[in-house]
Amino acid sequence: MDAALIPEGAKRCSFPKFTIGIAIVGAILLWGVFAMGLIWWKGLNQTNMNDYYGFAIWIWADLAVIAVGGGAFFTGLLRYIFKIDELKNIINFAVIIGFICYSSALLILAIDIGQPLRGWFIFWHANVHSMLTEVAFCLSAYFAVLTIEFIPNILENRQAQKVPFFHHLAHNMHGVMAVFAATGAFLSFFHQGSLGGVAGVMYGRPFAVREGLLIWPWTFFLFTWSAAAFGPCFTLLVTRITEAVTRKKLVKDNVVHLLAKISGWMIVTYIVAKIIDTIYWAMVTAPSLGFTLSHFYTNNSFYGYWILITEIVLCGVIPGAILIMKSTRENSKLRLIAIILGVIGVCLNRWVMVLQIMAVPVMSFDTWALYFPSWQEIATTILPIAYGIILIALAYRYLPVFPQEQELNPVEPATEVE
Amino acid sequence: MKQENNKAYKFGMVIDLDKCTGCGSCMVSCMSENNVPFKEDESKKKDSITWMRVYKLTNGKSFPDTEVVYMPRPCQHCGGKGDHGHSPCVSVCPAVATDYGYDTGIVSQIYTRCFGCRYCMGACPYHARYFNWWDPKWPEGMENYLSPNVSPRMRGVVEKCSFCYHRYQAARDQAYAQGNKDEIDEENYQTACTTACPSGAIVFGDLNNPAHAVHEIVKPDPHPDPRNKHVVGKSRNPKVFRLLERLGTNPKVYYLSEREWVRKAGDNYLDGEWDKIKNHHGATLSND
Amino acid sequence: MKVDRRSFLGLGLGAAAGIAVSPIGMKLTDDSSIWTQNWPWTPVPVDGEVTYENSVCSLCPGSCGISVRKINNRPVKIEGLAGYPINDGGACLHGIAGLQYLYDPSRVKTPLKKNGDKFEEISWDDAIAIVAAKLADIRKSGSAEKLACIADKEQGSVSGLFKRLLKTFGSPNFYTMPGLESYLELTAETLHGEGQTIAFDLENASFVLSFGAGIIEGWGSPVNCFKANASRKERKAKLYQIEPRLSNTAANADKWIPVKPGTEADLALGICAVILENKLFDSPATSSFKGGLNKFGALLQKEYTPSKTAEITGVNASDIEKIATLFANAKMPLAVFGKGRGDGAQSLKELAAVHILNCLVGNINKKGGAFVQPKLKYLEFADESMDSIAENGFAKTKAAPYVNQLIEKVNESSQPVVEALFVYNANPCHSLHDAKKVKQALGKIPFVVSFSSFLDETAMEADIILPSHTFIERLEDVPSCAGLAKSVVGLTKPVVEPLFDTKNPGDAVILIAKALEGNIAQSFEWETYEECLEEVAAGIWDSLSEDGFAIISEEVPSESVPVNISLLANNPATVQAQGDFELTLIPIDNMRLISAGISVSPFAIKTVSDKVLKGKDIVVDINPLTASGLKDGGVAMLTTPIGTARVIVNFNEGIMPGIIGMVEGLGHTFDNKYVSNKGININALIGPVIESGSGLDAAFGIKAKISKA
Repeated sequence: MDAALIPEGAKRCSFPKFTIGIAIVGAILLWGVFAMGLIWWKGLNQTNMNDYYGFAIWIWADLAVIAVGGGAFFTGLLRYIFKIDELKNIINFAVIIGFICYSSALLILAIDIGQPLRGWFIFWHANVHSMLTEVAFCLSAYFAVLTIEFIPNILENRQAQKVPFFHHLAHNMHGVMAVFAATGAFLSFFHQGSLGGVAGVMYGRPFAVREGLLIWPWTFFLFTWSAAAFGPCFTLLVTRITEAVTRKKLVKDNVVHLLAKISGWMIVTYIVAKIIDTIYWAMVTAPSLGFTLSHFYTNNSFYGYWILITEIVLCGVIPGAILIMKSTRENSKLRLIAIILGVIGVCLNRWVMVLQIMAVPVMSFDTWALYFPSWQEIATTILPIAYGIILIALAYRYLPVFPQEQELNPVEPATEVE
Repeated sequence: MKQENNKAYKFGMVIDLDKCTGCGSCMVSCMSENNVPFKEDESKKKDSITWMRVYKLTNGKSFPDTEVVYMPRPCQHCGGKGDHGHSPCVSVCPAVATDYGYDTGIVSQIYTRCFGCRYCMGACPYHARYFNWWDPKWPEGMENYLSPNVSPRMRGVVEKCSFCYHRYQAARDQAYAQGNKDEIDEENYQTACTTACPSGAIVFGDLNNPAHAVHEIVKPDPHPDPRNKHVVGKSRNPKVFRLLERLGTNPKVYYLSEREWVRKAGDNYLDGEWDKIKNHHGATLSND
Repeated sequence: MKVDRRSFLGLGLGAAAGIAVSPIGMKLTDDSSIWTQNWPWTPVPVDGEVTYENSVCSLCPGSCGISVRKINNRPVKIEGLAGYPINDGGACLHGIAGLQYLYDPSRVKTPLKKNGDKFEEISWDDAIAIVAAKLADIRKSGSAEKLACIADKEQGSVSGLFKRLLKTFGSPNFYTMPGLESYLELTAETLHGEGQTIAFDLENASFVLSFGAGIIEGWGSPVNCFKANASRKERKAKLYQIEPRLSNTAANADKWIPVKPGTEADLALGICAVILENKLFDSPATSSFKGGLNKFGALLQKEYTPSKTAEITGVNASDIEKIATLFANAKMPLAVFGKGRGDGAQSLKELAAVHILNCLVGNINKKGGAFVQPKLKYLEFADESMDSIAENGFAKTKAAPYVNQLIEKVNESSQPVVEALFVYNANPCHSLHDAKKVKQALGKIPFVVSFSSFLDETAMEADIILPSHTFIERLEDVPSCAGLAKSVVGLTKPVVEPLFDTKNPGDAVILIAKALEGNIAQSFEWETYEECLEEVAAGIWDSLSEDGFAIISEEVPSESVPVNISLLANNPATVQAQGDFELTLIPIDNMRLISAGISVSPFAIKTVSDKVLKGKDIVVDINPLTASGLKDGGVAMLTTPIGTARVIVNFNEGIMPGIIGMVEGLGHTFDNKYVSNKGININALIGPVIESGSGLDAAFGIKAKISKA
């Protein structure tokens, strides 16, 4: 039925099957949209946030999707600036994932603020001292870049290609993509960093605050570095999932191995920096404010040392080690474990840098504040996932996302139906 | 602020915790003065707008050695690190909806500017900032007591204690009307909590003005603390302390207590640290 | 032109691009944010001319001067009145929140008549006519004495009018709710003779020994007490607080002396024993003691040695001796009685035992001591016109000495003890012990008239409600009492026109009297209450109307007063808590709540800790040592001999083991979602225990058990 739109030489599941799949995920999406409507209509009282948890699950989701969406800018940087040519076989997909992540992030921000209709005040009345202002500017600009990066891929759709203008536009855009990749990398450096800065500059919160370089706290650099390190893990993970769902190999192993290797070395360097940062914070910064490390990890029913160890060792050191060693990296099972751990690790880091900050008491007579999201928060947090699945499904079905697909999956020439 | 001869005030407060009885007058006076709304269930304290909140502190000892003290906590009107006006909240607000008044030392909040990102709340370690999770609603007829001096806040914005800024404006207008541009009288500008306190535990005034009672009690040290360059305005009165002074937030709300455990509860200390620094007050040796 | 898919697409894209570059988008974005800044459902208070009006708050016996800020004649804020002789600028939270009572949508807005289970609105004329007709019937049937009245207090012209109505009607049955002033008068009468009352010079005392008096919990005249307490530091005065829990007063005191509840009298007597034994008393003062000082001394030496007292009270013997010595040697010692706010249940033995300490150390009528002085008298009512029914009826003995026994008698008797009841400024169905029984009694009374401004628990039981103005809308004389060293009469003035179809209760009484005709109407010849007040308070009217208050006395009384200790010398029994469970439930007076009369305001309840009220659950304090099997913050069932309630447990190191503390003033059941149906009323868990001899309800608590729910 939709065969005319499907890339030439690619085999796709039947349209009804596809529709059913989309409908199932679409139902979840609608649930999320309903919750979003409730929140916009009735206000943030629909959440379980409170005056202690002004930042909660959404901000975590926001930071997490931006972190894992970091695969787009970093892969783009490697592909177009460092000219690592193999990566052209995964760059389209990295861009799509990035696009999903960043559009989700913007949507979450629009839900999260108390006065969505005044959201543009962040640009109009911008406070240049605020990390959030920097986030807003860079995030919006980078989303525009991602859109530009995504467009040529869309225009490669079989029907679009028939329009000469689109055909030439796509071609020419490819030609100048290096400029956008560079812009994207620059913007990403700043907004990933300033998201880290959001936490690091809160000098009223000893759990969050970090010293740094000039106006940038160390979390600024750690966030950028971790996004670059773990973003490719997410790209690889989603590729692997897509391969599993489509029961097809879509990207050649050498490409995967290369990206995994780069990611591995990035993780290792990041985790060394993170360990140094943690030790310095635990031994110098926090004590200078009167806090011992145990203050942050005891006397409550959730946040124990386990979270620190899980984040740094289990989901940092281990995936880094697996990915830098050829033998383990090229073992598909171990590699999968590593990239899963890596994705969990960076998400956990963002969790800690949002929710644990809110949970830790600062005044000596204050108490730990724990929180559990309302269903509306959960639904709106799942919403981007459903949206992402649908967008990936559509892109995969109708766009030539994976240049190596046909080579890896040769098929009989498709019968023209229309 | 382009007015000439505009002298910089530094309004601040000192609260005598030995006098405070925890009676709640300051809280209600504040609510009534500032059109603070109320809702059916206000027992969830993490979702209950109280610009002035009174904390109950205990010394943690068991019966019968338990002691209790009440600690009223308005917005601390932090001067930020080095007292340069970069308060934890002001420096993070992306839309300049909260700002530091260099002429008064008051941290303002512009409700119509705020778009409810709540970053300021996360940045404030005192939990002095409150979000309007709900539309403010008054039972029919009760909106009649709302004061025109303070706008009721709409849903979705952050609010907090303003040191009754409208009273400052009124006092300034009065001073101008009387041809006295430079100086507003101490008694002409007092916050609603100060005047309501039946125990006289709250003293409010200009920390820069040696004639004001608050200055007399606090004796703020104008020099940075040699142990922590971010800390400015430390009290030279050994019984006076600030909340979380070590963070360098430089609050303009000071507390007074004869009880050592109370002063210690004002901040966080590593084991043994308190005994070393408990008698350290101000950068210079107090000779006044 | 052929409109195909492509051109349609092109047109759409073109239009979208056109709109995007036009100013429409920006305009809409701007407009939508301006709309959020002016949401029509967020009120915008109207500005206008600012005026201030002075008045006096009559929410509690404190009688503080207030200043009401008005905008265009619309009251917007209540503050303490600077320069007022009682509170000099300070104010309590309930007074500051006073406008929430004025504007309360659940006020009684017009006279109501009970019809079945519901109230229907009626006119004042009809309401007065119904009341008058009913009363006339009662009078005609020869049982005039069966008209009773429960008011909050004896003092003041409105109570005076109620008393006058009852007297001319032919009934002696005027009752007041328990209140500190009534205890002060009873104690004075017992120890010093009739017509006296007691006041405490807290502002000057150098050593205050408080037997549970919540000096900063709303005891006496609250703001005045706050001020006296706050000045303690500068005066270098000491406060020792004796009570089973670390109340705010205890926490603020120089020393907290935990004592087993109900043994305060024994501790006071134990201290007396040390003072007598060690000859620390003031000999000239004790020389005038009557009623058996030797007998008293012998009793103390036998029964109240430090070790015996220690055993009874839980205060160790050396502390008892130390306290006695400190107290007796202080320059201006002062022993203060009246547990909590002083308006709950009290035992006369305890009141007398504490006050005798003042007598022993000779601080009566001395600066910083206890003042024994004649009751405040500034009202001069002309003689009533009495007919024979009035004479006969009024001469009969009261149905019961105190309101508690009246309730008991109504419940027990098969004959109607009371045919008609007036309730003014009181909410016995919530404030008296065993609230359920009180409600039952009111149900048995054929005709109940409430003068309440609110549909409180008692008004709900009424047949007719004649709604009163709130204190913001009415004129009234407000005498200070409640142990205040100064005698001041304040004038509450109407600050605003009445919002609803309500009346000054004085006017309502005058209207009823006029409708009853005959001698009763003749005794109420004023056209209005205002005219009446001006006449009966003529002696101080000039200063009342000009200054807003009149100081009756502020000097230390100079008279020496006799002391009669026969009550104590006869070793009266100490009241025991009802029941035989292991633990004891005691009430807690919390400044942020109101235990008697009106309910708390929305603002005030907002200040209440989540360790007191959590959602709809009341939180009880219990020492962790006593809390075996319970979880801090967990739900538990609390059982007393008269009731069971679901509570949340709060482990508190500031309460003696074996005690459960529960706040008073919660658990209202009327229609106001902000303050009602929150927690439970402790008076539904504690029953009255009548002290033999005095007839007072002296239930300081009740035996209880608590278990995990």
